[in-house]
Amino acid sequence: MAAPSAVGLSRRLRAWLPRIMPVRWSRYDPSYLEPEVNKELYQKPPEKLTEEEREQMELKAVRPIKAAPPTLSSSVFSDPMVSKFTNMMMKNGNKVLARSLMSQTLEAIKRKQLEKYHKAPENEKEAIECNPYVIFHQALKNCQPIIGLSSITRGGKTYQVPVPLTDNRKRFLAMKWLITECRENKHRRTMMPEKLSQELLLAFNNEGPIIKKKHVLHKMAEANRAYAHFRWW
Amino acid sequence: MKHSGAANKEGALHGLSRAFGSIWSVASEKPLGSCHTCSYHTLLWGTLRLICTTTAVQRKNVGASGPEKYTEAFIKKQIEEFNLGKRHLANMMGEDPETFTQEDIDRAIAYLFPSGLFDKQARPMMKHPTEIFPEQRKIQWGEDGRPFHFLFYTGKPSYYSLMHETYEKLLNVQKHQDQLTVQDLPLQKEKNEYSRFIHLLQKLVALPCTDIEEEYIQKFSKEVPVQLQKVVIDPLQFDERGVAFSTGEGKRKTARATAVIYDNGTGKITVNGIDILHYFPVLQDREQLLFPFQFLGRIGKHDMVCTVSGGGRSAQAGAIRLASAKALRSFVTEKEVEFMRQAGLLTADPRVKERKKPGQEGPRRKFTWKKR
Repeated sequence: MAAPSAVGLSRRLRAWLPRIMPVRWSRYDPSYLEPEVNKELYQKPPEKLTEEEREQMELKAVRPIKAAPPTLSSSVFSDPMVSKFTNMMMKNGNKVLARSLMSQTLEAIKRKQLEKYHKAPENEKEAIECNPYVIFHQALKNCQPIIGLSSITRGGKTYQVPVPLTDNRKRFLAMKWLITECRENKHRRTMMPEKLSQELLLAFNNEGPIIKKKHVLHKMAEANRAYAHFRWW
Repeated sequence: MKHSGAANKEGALHGLSRAFGSIWSVASEKPLGSCHTCSYHTLLWGTLRLICTTTAVQRKNVGASGPEKYTEAFIKKQIEEFNLGKRHLANMMGEDPETFTQEDIDRAIAYLFPSGLFDKQARPMMKHPTEIFPEQRKIQWGEDGRPFHFLFYTGKPSYYSLMHETYEKLLNVQKHQDQLTVQDLPLQKEKNEYSRFIHLLQKLVALPCTDIEEEYIQKFSKEVPVQLQKVVIDPLQFDERGVAFSTGEGKRKTARATAVIYDNGTGKITVNGIDILHYFPVLQDREQLLFPFQFLGRIGKHDMVCTVSGGGRSAQAGAIRLASAKALRSFVTEKEVEFMRQAGLLTADPRVKERKKPGQEGPRRKFTWKKR
């Protein structure tokens, strides 16, 4: 069984003297590709694959693949966004607690939505979204800022320069705001799942303090439009 | 000629005075500082105030302006006149205007305007204007006195403009490099000998008639084996009851696991003699155990008995997952084995705890920085 290179790593560690040691390195050789867990992709018959997918399959056939991380699985219940959020909520490595909080949050969302569903009149019942995963994804999407600010120092003064954000950064900011909001602006006695579900439902409807924070950021970026040329990337 | 600068302001204004006779300033409060000889009066009308009048006009300093400067238009006109005059002269002498050379002109002038002067330079001459008017630097400023070159006042405009342009190119290149760095692209196309050779080989291969040189090209090409072929899959074994089973081993961090998967089962999984519900109370670990089965769609079809030691909760789960995936290879077609590999089920996770370094508190965390 081809073991991913521990030998290569020691070689690299020894070769660091002439060059600067890279801080972000991984135990895997750079030739290792990311695993693809989605079952449907493998069940597709070969005729239906697009050119890109065909090339990808051919490449994957000759390259080693990294091991799937413990949070990832092919079951319908594993969602990469949800696991990312759980990891961000985790404190001191207590994954069990974080995961239970997450599941309680989703349950709370479902309960609230169901309550609304049963109270609503017939014509409005279809408009109410009961799937907590859909609500979670939509709420996060609504919280994502489009443009961010970056501090650039020129001539002693620090300016806030509007800067485009990458997808990862947007997702990270949305999740971070959610979590900090729920940790800080709540009454001492309210539990995290309760507060989180509340915030998620508000964000789903484009209301709430996190959406407001996003709008404030957008306004600041608009106001500092004049400094946009300071950006060199 | 207008000169800028406060000291010469008076001179400029006096230059104007040649045309206007007296100086008028529009709504200026302060008198000209160095105007000792003049007096100033206030007029009754408008905001105009007479600053100073002079009876004697400032004389033009002939020496200071240098040799007389000719404009390009002037030189051009002189050349036209010369050519015209040359043709007239040729007609006058009765010769062909097209083939009238400078020697012929000299002879003609000497004939028409005989002169007894000893100094050859003093005799009448008709030469091309470029020989008569000395070559001068073209005037480097326009009619309004503003110089054409933006670096005229540095004293060395060509040198400084060259430096300026080169620096602009340097900044451009740096900007391009920054952009590439941000996008994580390589800074330069690595054009070493190897890549050039590869480029040439690719050109060769792309041609239609490469078959004649096939064996030469084969010397440089290497078969990249399909990853799957490196591994040998054990065939199924059968125990006393006739049930097919297979074994697999797996490891993760410090945990080592062995798994035995039996066919015709009900989906019962036992770890170290204990049911997984009791051994792994956390949902995530059980999910990991079931991952290979769920991926292949064989959840209720196999029984599993595993033994695991070492590591922690998650490490043991990962080890068993790898062991069960390896064992399942024997039950499944080659294509599905390839799918399992691409899903990351058959690779041993190499990530282990990073060692602590001396001088640091942990593998990455440094000691608290104290200013003094």
